[in-house]
Amino acid sequence: MPTTRKWKPSAMLLLFVFPALVFYCVFTLAPAIGGIWYSLTDWNGLNPAYRMVGLSNYVEAMGDRFFLKSLWFTLKFVVFMLVLQNLLAILLAVFIEAMGRSKVWFRTIFFMPNMLSLIIGGFMWMFIFTRVFPYGAEKLGWSLLNQSWIGDPRYSFFSILALSLWGGVGYLMVIYIAALQGVPKTLKEAAAIDGAGALSLFRNVTLPMIYPALTIGVFLTLNGSFKVFDAVYSLTGGGPGRSTQVIAINIFEEAFSFSNRYGYASAKAMILFGIVLVISIVQLAVMKRREVRA
Amino acid sequence: MISPKSFQTASIGIRQTALRRIGAGGMFLFLLIAAIITLFPIYMALLNSVKTQGDMLSNILALPASLEWGNYTDAFRKTNYVRSLWNTFVVAGTGLAGIVLFASMAGYKLSRTPGKLSAFLFGLFVMSTLIPFHSIMITLVRISSGLKLQGSAVGLGLLYIGLGVAVAIFLYHGFVKSVPKELDEAAVIDGCGEFKLYFAVILPLLLPITATIAILNTLWMWNDFLLPLLVLTDFKSYTLLLSTNMLFGEYNNDWSAILASLVLAMLPVILLYLLLQKYILHGISEGAIKS
Repeated sequence: MPTTRKWKPSAMLLLFVFPALVFYCVFTLAPAIGGIWYSLTDWNGLNPAYRMVGLSNYVEAMGDRFFLKSLWFTLKFVVFMLVLQNLLAILLAVFIEAMGRSKVWFRTIFFMPNMLSLIIGGFMWMFIFTRVFPYGAEKLGWSLLNQSWIGDPRYSFFSILALSLWGGVGYLMVIYIAALQGVPKTLKEAAAIDGAGALSLFRNVTLPMIYPALTIGVFLTLNGSFKVFDAVYSLTGGGPGRSTQVIAINIFEEAFSFSNRYGYASAKAMILFGIVLVISIVQLAVMKRREVRA
Repeated sequence: MISPKSFQTASIGIRQTALRRIGAGGMFLFLLIAAIITLFPIYMALLNSVKTQGDMLSNILALPASLEWGNYTDAFRKTNYVRSLWNTFVVAGTGLAGIVLFASMAGYKLSRTPGKLSAFLFGLFVMSTLIPFHSIMITLVRISSGLKLQGSAVGLGLLYIGLGVAVAIFLYHGFVKSVPKELDEAAVIDGCGEFKLYFAVILPLLLPITATIAILNTLWMWNDFLLPLLVLTDFKSYTLLLSTNMLFGEYNNDWSAILASLVLAMLPVILLYLLLQKYILHGISEGAIKS
């Protein structure tokens, strides 16, 4: 009897965890390990035979002009998103919280794009960029609109950015609104009685109180922007040429479109993983420390 | 008698209320402009989806001269709307059922069982949450083709179970801590078996977090594009997004049909959003804060 008591909880645990574990192992864990393994080979996906090539895929990636360009393009995108998305989301959240009855309406509208895939959103914006803007430039004389928003990489960077912000700001806004609602009213009132203006109230009372939400917002933006795919795919497809390729598009094409070089593409994917991991850990460590102090 | 000091504070008070009023007006104006920009592409898609190609080219901003519903029948046929919608349902339904059932079972037992094995298993699940999808997709596609899951909506749903359980387990694991343990013990004393206890007592109590998990995962699976693009090789299994993407590629300049198809693709999500808005917004903030 005592022995059965001892193994029974473990057996029950395994029984309950088993279905989830099977799916998780086959579709997440195995591919992750497989990715590391294949990144060390010259596997081309079609040929069942492949050789170990050590780290040569990684070395090649570090000298791959297009990969490095896509890395740089992605980095630029991440920085812009990090600042603009969080700034806009906080601004919207603070303003909305100051509203009366219109509050619900604004919240509904700003979150709406988040419900849609950026593929759908991208095609809609494509219509705006390639049809409505030229029309506006011609009929209304707004020549500022008359740019090659999709075809010229200098401008399409901002088109991609606009689409991503349109689709992403609402999500962070909801998080910031929830955080703002958690700031005790008495705290604000006390500061107001002490003569704090609206700006100093925000900087000295509200901002420190929503700092944990800022950690989440920055984390989500970092994580999402490094992996950006849909917004670029739907607007430019990475083109013209490879001028607007982000890392995810570069990996996708390496593996599935041009060359089928699975091993090489896996190495690039591991580099992406490494970058996201290191930056996320650093970000969380730094911001959590400040959170405690604030 | 009014002392100079109180006069000064009074005037500051007046200035502050005036400022606050201007501030409120400015904020409202900012929100209004932002709202117009947000809705503009959706409005333009709706507006021009009922115009003839010629009407669109000459009056893109104006109301349609006549309603051209033919665009919709066109888009309906070209995207094979009913089948695509059904496939999307099958994918999301299969994925959701598996994620909710398997993750709640695992999360519940992992949370209730102390010890090294339990901690190890939980760590194994949590570990993966930082891995970007792109790092596993290449091998995942190979595995799915090896298991003959490619080209099948149900197969794609099964893949989503494996990709989605980890985060769901994490959320359930945290929530179960707030369910009193005495309930389990009472049920066991009453002669309730482990599985009956879970299905009859625990699962209903997990409803709040189940709602959050259902919302987050449905949105993810419904709007995911890359994995279906890689796995659904047979156009008969195309989801709404894939059909829309295909139509966009094939009829590159036929914006009437494209815009109509975009409206059709948006329709189910927007309707659901307007109906369940409160729960969705709650679920989103809940999910983000907890994970």
